[in-house]
Amino acid sequence: MSPIQCAQFERILEEQPDGPLPAPAAAHLDGCSDCRLLWSDLEAIRTAGMEWGSEEVAPPEHLWFSLRIEMESEGLIQKRPAAAGWWATWFGAAPRWALAGASISLLLIAGMLATYQTNAPAGKDSRVASLLPAHLSVPGATERLVAADLGKTLDGDLKRVFASLPERNPLLASSLRENLGIVDNLIAVCEKSVRERPNDEMSRDYLYGAYEQKAVLLATAMDRSASEGQ
Amino acid sequence: MKSGAISGWSQGAGTMLIALTLTCSAGAQTRRFERHFNVQGKPVITVQNATGRIQVRAWDKSEVMVSGQKASASVEVDTEQVGNRIEIATHVVSENASPDALRADYEINVPTESELQVRSDSGNVTVDSVHGDMSFDTVAADLSLQDVEGYLMIKSIGGSTVCTRCAGRLDANSISGNFQLLQPSMDNVRVQTSSGNILFDGGFMNRGIYVLKNYSGTIEVRFSSTDSFDVRATSLYGNVINQAPVVPDRHSMPAPRGGLAKSLFGSMNDGRAKVELSSFSGTIKISKRE
Repeated sequence: MSPIQCAQFERILEEQPDGPLPAPAAAHLDGCSDCRLLWSDLEAIRTAGMEWGSEEVAPPEHLWFSLRIEMESEGLIQKRPAAAGWWATWFGAAPRWALAGASISLLLIAGMLATYQTNAPAGKDSRVASLLPAHLSVPGATERLVAADLGKTLDGDLKRVFASLPERNPLLASSLRENLGIVDNLIAVCEKSVRERPNDEMSRDYLYGAYEQKAVLLATAMDRSASEGQ
Repeated sequence: MKSGAISGWSQGAGTMLIALTLTCSAGAQTRRFERHFNVQGKPVITVQNATGRIQVRAWDKSEVMVSGQKASASVEVDTEQVGNRIEIATHVVSENASPDALRADYEINVPTESELQVRSDSGNVTVDSVHGDMSFDTVAADLSLQDVEGYLMIKSIGGSTVCTRCAGRLDANSISGNFQLLQPSMDNVRVQTSSGNILFDGGFMNRGIYVLKNYSGTIEVRFSSTDSFDVRATSLYGNVINQAPVVPDRHSMPAPRGGLAKSLFGSMNDGRAKVELSSFSGTIKISKRE
């Protein structure tokens, strides 16, 4: 699929953020795996946003504020007229999708973690359990598409952000990759611990912390990618 | 005849050598830089340098001096002064340069009471005798702080930190970096690293709060017999090794939550400081200072 068609598709998304896809865009989606991936990411994010919105769960104000400031300073987002849809409100005229997707993943993780903290005393059917990755067989956990997709989305975004790191600084890229391996390993052992001790709050705390570290890593990679690309 | 030819050749070679030396010297001159900024009171200095050494030292002048050397013409050093704010940044001007050509080394002299904001990816950062708030954002760069005082915020990915005779408050986070706090005079310390080691070798101040956390690796704190602190140390899958003569807690702090974790919970002397040590699978050592 040619870049022009992909660019047009992105423009359509930007101009008609909340409506159904026009026929030409839908046709393009059928034949372009990159845009399909982007579309599915955005759909997952939209679903997550609606679900969380309906349950009135909000991360701390300062977290949103600092993330927004960070994204604005990097030129990832800019303010738009209120009449525009929510996509357009978040993204500027020339969206940098790789970073934007990663940013949204970060926001979702922030939301997930904030929700987790809000619901810290875990009950059997608690939302905490449901927010764990779906492959964890926590008793009482309700598997949710959102949580499962979130992990995949984050990994996909990390790949895209890492791919956008400048080749001229190999030490930076290798350090970030090495530390991503460390964090992924931590997440794996913490997940195992939660599986073995589903009611142990400490294990959950560490799992939460490991995800938080991954979010920090993603934010750093985004930051370096944006600033070194200038 | 032959000796005359050799003599002519050697003269020519000598001339070329001199010309080459002058050229190299001129290149080195253009790669060296030095800039001066007059300031008043407490300046704020921001440094952004992806690759290379950053050395910051306090002096008693009301001036900031930025000097150093860049590896090639592929990078530029930009500086800007707006009132008491000074921004220093290395910019890449040639996309095709090799990684080594993008290095810039800085030596920066600042008034003692300066605020610093440093961002570096690789290359060591050292700060000596500066008394002001500081923030560091690094990836693989190691950080060495000596005789500094203020609110220190450190975010590193893989770089390690050594803080010698630091005073004030510390908030630090890393993924694989180690932290060593040697002879600190700090009353609020929060350090977290995922796979790194943490060493706290110094006195706990009265009413001080010390929170040290990692996932793997070792957390070691060293105490003296006059130190007064409440301690709560928990390692979920690792060990807690204690040499402190702690007694059951005097302040009714809640017990650690992890039922199966190795933990220590108690007070030494009057329990004036609060020490929280936690690890997922690492070893926690509470050792007596030699």
